[in-house]
Amino acid sequence: MRKIGMVLAIAAVMSGSMTTAQTTYAAQSSRDTNVYIQPAVPIGPKVQMFDCRGTTGDMGWFWRDGWRGWACYPC
Amino acid sequence: MGIGTTIGGLGSAAAQPNDYGTLPVDPSLVTDSLAYNAAPPVFDPSGQPGVTAVYTHRGGERQITNTILVLPDAQAATAAVGGAAVGKVANGQTQPAAVGSGGTIVSGMSPDGTKSVTVLTFTQGNAAATIEFDGPPRDPAPADFVVELGQKQDTAIKDWQAA
Repeated sequence: MRKIGMVLAIAAVMSGSMTTAQTTYAAQSSRDTNVYIQPAVPIGPKVQMFDCRGTTGDMGWFWRDGWRGWACYPC
Repeated sequence: MGIGTTIGGLGSAAAQPNDYGTLPVDPSLVTDSLAYNAAPPVFDPSGQPGVTAVYTHRGGERQITNTILVLPDAQAATAAVGGAAVGKVANGQTQPAAVGSGGTIVSGMSPDGTKSVTVLTFTQGNAAATIEFDGPPRDPAPADFVVELGQKQDTAIKDWQAA
């Protein structure tokens, strides 16, 4: 009877350890998932045109592919 | 006698068609370097000694046609550029240009009205240069661009003649 109790106690301790380990691992995994950031997929260069009221400062210039290629041209 | 023959030989060599290929100035010299694509040069256009080079803008809406004729003398060169814009520009406006000798810009629309046309003509010694700029109807070639390219071409002709 005493032996049976010892076996049950050992089994209970082992079971508790495993449960704790699983919980810890799950917690770590959960934290890792939260920290990990999926890197953005790189995209190629993008040309953004400015109009006469755009970021050229509304100075009457227009960024486009004209006679001189890509350059600022008067509006 | 031997010296005279040598000099004559050099003079003839300068007029060989293969040498004309170095005459036209690529517009990419005064634009971003990838703006224009050059077609293979045409030598002796219309049976006259010289070269024609066509440069097409990557967008396909603009084209620069550069023709340089190497004629016997300056008078022949002046005569050659005299009517260069005839039939190409309708109701064109003519203005002088600070390019070579007798630099002139004629700008207007094509006879069918579908495109803007600007023609720069000038001579340099016995060379007659005609640079035609064809573009969208509402976007003619800017005068400063025309003059700058013309001046580059004039310099190239002088360098070629001096070589």
